[in-house]
Amino acid sequence: MVSKMVQSTAADEVFHALSSPTRRKVLERLSVGPATVSELAAPFDMQLPSFVQHLSVLEQSRLVRSKKRGRVRTYEIAPARFKVVEDWLTARRQLWEARLDRFDQYVKQFKAKESES
Amino acid sequence: MSKQSTINPTLDFNPKLDFAIERFIDAPTRLVWEALTKPEHLREWCMPKAWGRVSRAEMDVRPGGIFSIDIAVEDGPDSPNLGCFLDVVPMERLVWTSMLLPGYRPAVFDDIPITAIVTMQAVGTGTRYVFTALHRSEADLETMEHVIAMKSVAAL
Repeated sequence: MVSKMVQSTAADEVFHALSSPTRRKVLERLSVGPATVSELAAPFDMQLPSFVQHLSVLEQSRLVRSKKRGRVRTYEIAPARFKVVEDWLTARRQLWEARLDRFDQYVKQFKAKESES
Repeated sequence: MSKQSTINPTLDFNPKLDFAIERFIDAPTRLVWEALTKPEHLREWCMPKAWGRVSRAEMDVRPGGIFSIDIAVEDGPDSPNLGCFLDVVPMERLVWTSMLLPGYRPAVFDDIPITAIVTMQAVGTGTRYVFTALHRSEADLETMEHVIAMKSVAAL
């Protein structure tokens, strides 16, 4: 029970982290290997502070981790966390289960609204 | 019964590639169909709030018609989901794919394409429906599975 709750929070954090195209691109880049902040920022037409914000969302979700050596911070994938979304098909099914939960709720409200009027 | 074959269409279903979700909902099929096929309804339910929201939805629900859902996140450009309806039988079956652009024009993109099938059937005063997602190949799923999951998980 507890582990299920923990898992669902982890999934929420991961989905949140993945909800941004910028962050997905950063993860794609990091899946190839570690990179410094400036290497990661280079492909993006974005102010550095906003970009660093994305990195910190990723780090908070523990999808990535960073190390600072001198003045250079290097990011890399944190493999443990990736198990949450490791199985692509399962992730897709979870997404649709969540979506259909909302769909069912919505249709129920829709029905209630209609019977009122 | 011909209805039976509507809800369980003969598909080349492969559990390694595909999944199906079957649900019963205590609402008339007419409302289930409307909630599924009208953009003003779809935008309300199709994104769990933590993951983003629908910023634009356009659906021309007829074979070849446009299926276009943009998903907004707190930053960056909206991610588009563009596709084409293939089969539309009101209150029975809706099929769409991201493999084709509107008007059946072949699509080229680097994401994993999906064909989605929703079949529904009145059961008493409620509706039984099945959502089926078909995918292309195991190679699709195995190649850089992590990256693919990341790219696709937020998409439709």
